[in-house]
Amino acid sequence: MIDTMLVMAAVAAACAVPGVFLVLRKMVLVGDAMSHVLLLGIVLAFFVVRDPASPALFFGAAAAGVVTVALVELLQHTRLLKEDAAIGLVFPALFSIGTLLASMYLRNTHLDVDRVLLGSAELAYLDRFTIAGRDLGPRGFAVPAMVFLATVFLVAVAYKELKLVSFDPGLATTLGFKPALVHYALMLGVSLTTVSAFDAVGPVLVLAFFAVPPAAARLLTNRLSILLVLSVAIAVSAALAGTWLAFRLDITTAGTVCTVLGTLFALTILAAPDRGLIAELLRRRRLIRELHGTLLVVHLHRHEGTPAEAEESRREGLEAHLNWSREQTARVSRRAQAEGWIVAVGDCWKLTDAGRDRAKAAGT
Amino acid sequence: MTPAIDVHDLTVAYREKPALWDVDLAIPTGSLMAIVGPNGAGKTTLLKSILGLIPAVAGNVSIHGEPFRTGRRRVAYVPQKSSVDWDFPTTVFDLVRMGTYGRLGWFRRPGAAEREATTTALRRVGLGDLGDRQIGQLSGGQQQRAFLARALVQDADVYALDEPLQGVDAVTERAVMDILRDLRNAGKTIVAVHHDLHTVPAYFDSVTLLNVKVIASGPVGDAFTPENLKLAYGDAARV
Amino acid sequence: MIGLFDEPAVRTVALGTAAIGALAGFIGTFAVVRRQSLLGDAISHAALPGLALAFLLGARSPIVLIAGAAVAGWIAMALVAGMVRGRHASFDTALGGALAVFFGIGLALLTAIQKHVPDATRHGLDRYLFGQAAIMDETDVRVVAAVGLVSLGIVLALWKPIQLLCFDPDFAAVQGWPIRRLDALLAALVVVATVTGLQAVGVVLMSSLLVAPAVAARQWLNRLGPMAALAAAFGGFAGFAGTIGSHLLSADNRTVPTGPVIVLVATALVAISLARSLFARRVVVLARATS
Repeated sequence: MIDTMLVMAAVAAACAVPGVFLVLRKMVLVGDAMSHVLLLGIVLAFFVVRDPASPALFFGAAAAGVVTVALVELLQHTRLLKEDAAIGLVFPALFSIGTLLASMYLRNTHLDVDRVLLGSAELAYLDRFTIAGRDLGPRGFAVPAMVFLATVFLVAVAYKELKLVSFDPGLATTLGFKPALVHYALMLGVSLTTVSAFDAVGPVLVLAFFAVPPAAARLLTNRLSILLVLSVAIAVSAALAGTWLAFRLDITTAGTVCTVLGTLFALTILAAPDRGLIAELLRRRRLIRELHGTLLVVHLHRHEGTPAEAEESRREGLEAHLNWSREQTARVSRRAQAEGWIVAVGDCWKLTDAGRDRAKAAGT
Repeated sequence: MTPAIDVHDLTVAYREKPALWDVDLAIPTGSLMAIVGPNGAGKTTLLKSILGLIPAVAGNVSIHGEPFRTGRRRVAYVPQKSSVDWDFPTTVFDLVRMGTYGRLGWFRRPGAAEREATTTALRRVGLGDLGDRQIGQLSGGQQQRAFLARALVQDADVYALDEPLQGVDAVTERAVMDILRDLRNAGKTIVAVHHDLHTVPAYFDSVTLLNVKVIASGPVGDAFTPENLKLAYGDAARV
Repeated sequence: MIGLFDEPAVRTVALGTAAIGALAGFIGTFAVVRRQSLLGDAISHAALPGLALAFLLGARSPIVLIAGAAVAGWIAMALVAGMVRGRHASFDTALGGALAVFFGIGLALLTAIQKHVPDATRHGLDRYLFGQAAIMDETDVRVVAAVGLVSLGIVLALWKPIQLLCFDPDFAAVQGWPIRRLDALLAALVVVATVTGLQAVGVVLMSSLLVAPAVAARQWLNRLGPMAALAAAFGGFAGFAGTIGSHLLSADNRTVPTGPVIVLVATALVAISLARSLFARRVVVLARATS
């Protein structure tokens, strides 16, 4: 289990970093397309090298991902179809070619289409990763871990550029950066990450690792640096918790980690301090409450010193003037009194100086 | 007399920041009114919340005395032309005929009367020959005129336009304003979000200066004063 | 090829995939013009937990399994719409995240099923992922045809509001149309079309059948109604030709799966249509240059 935890944590961390930029640039579905096409890259590379363990398969798959993005952009540039349609055309077509080739020619090899599609974290640690005869741990851990370190290094080096290209590509161009260069570097990073995560989680679930941790982190912060750290933290904790749960229940690890990710995201939407549903509900209620308090002092202020003042400010029957319910009027008055905007004088409410200032500040 | 549009205590907030704060506004029937204000003043927000397209935190809107839910059917809405996809598969004629769909109800098909009305409206905005064109082949000004024609076939009481003169050629600008003036003379009410302060006195008879709150609203002569403009725009205002 | 069509099994499958293609092409048109081409992709993946749950609760008949899949797909779409409306995530993030998370939940449920339900095999999953057109029988074809006719009827009856919703939803709302409900209805139509085709052509390929015929049809026609009809024809042709093609390509020692061939036929239609548009544009440019 510890080995599988390591594998899933490495995959989750590796995906979270480029995932942040995919989410910020609204390119998550491009990542979806890329991951599906890796199969074709693997198959084509296999035709060339004829060795299912060759590193050429790795790079063939990564190259296929980048070619997919280029193809989607080429189609978009004809302006005959939109980006979403271009994505929806390119990846099923390339995926189909991949499946056809695999099913026609690779029936009896070690390329198991099922495993390629769904991944298998439980088996990913069986392969050892060796460089020059030295054992560097399970392949499913070592490869994504190295990709993670590489992307972190790249992000650290090109932090300013990435930030600018993600938030304001127009400005980036005028400042002389090359958005296209950063863009393709990022796409290559996404592609490499996907390939490295492939063995463990497959092309579909990898999308959850790209999209969900950054989306959850996005609800918690607006700063890119914190966003990156939070994404990795969310991803890794979901990976650890999900793996543990999967072993307890004896079910698929990758699927369980995705379920945990989804649950975490649902909780974040609910409870995020500023942008969460609960916070929004409270803010809405506070806003309405403030508005009602202000309306009350505005009402009193408008009639202050007029002949109708006694009638308009009487505590009994005030609700008729404001068109509120009796309970609501009582609640608003109580709060305005506690705020020190109004005081009870005889039968009537009177504005304090603070209440008068508030009424004037409301601009009426 | 009930105003064409009566906005009462309308507050709209995007997250914590109010985009419109306690707006009271009465637009009398037969006005040709511009809504002006600096960027971020909430002009489009005001128009959209009058039509119920953006939920309000508080307040209410009535249109010819009816609540907006039913009253808004008496409004012909001309959105910003950038709000739709001009590559959409439809001809200019079909686009304009969409204006008749509201009164046809759920299941009635557009017939000869609708064809007639569409042709008339196309001619009125100067697109009589272009009905068969794909909408993507129109120039920006022609697109704006097609949108206006779609509003015309609706035969509404109130016309609500969002930046109808944004990025259009001089011919279109004149054509649009002529039609709006004709509508006003026929007793309709027109309210348009507008960005060019210079043309306000020439084009409109009343104006609302907006900057989150209503700064001033009324006939151009009363409301469009240097003091009010300064209140709305700060010192940057120049007329 | 004529002889092949005389084989009843092949004929049934070819008719079935043609019906699925026509249905997907028709309904997909509305997703494509609303820039929601990847809706089908998300729905087909998100359907898995519904399928698994229905199975876990004892359902074995295809209709009930399809209904379970449809419910899950529809819930995923509702969640995506809610997240976008509440500004909790952008459309692509919500769609991609929902797709993968639902798929992951589905896989977790499936592995649980294999542990606890005795008669379950991996067969069902394989069929769902890659589709298996070969086992379509006449009942399946009738189900697809019925779904198609009902969808066509709904779209024709609500043609005006659907057209408005696709082009300019704000304008439609001001005219008094209930756009939220219409939007949910259109999403339901896409969901039903998607899950109906799943068993025959599989997850990834179903998303393609929703997109490719519409994109191809758009290159030839400029109006929504005729475009949807042509997309249905293109989709039907791709389904039919793809099935026949995969049978022709199959030899004694190898079988060529049907789904991918269908997708490649549909993609070829797109390529031809795009080439035609590009050529037409060049002619216009040349004409302008020489006049």
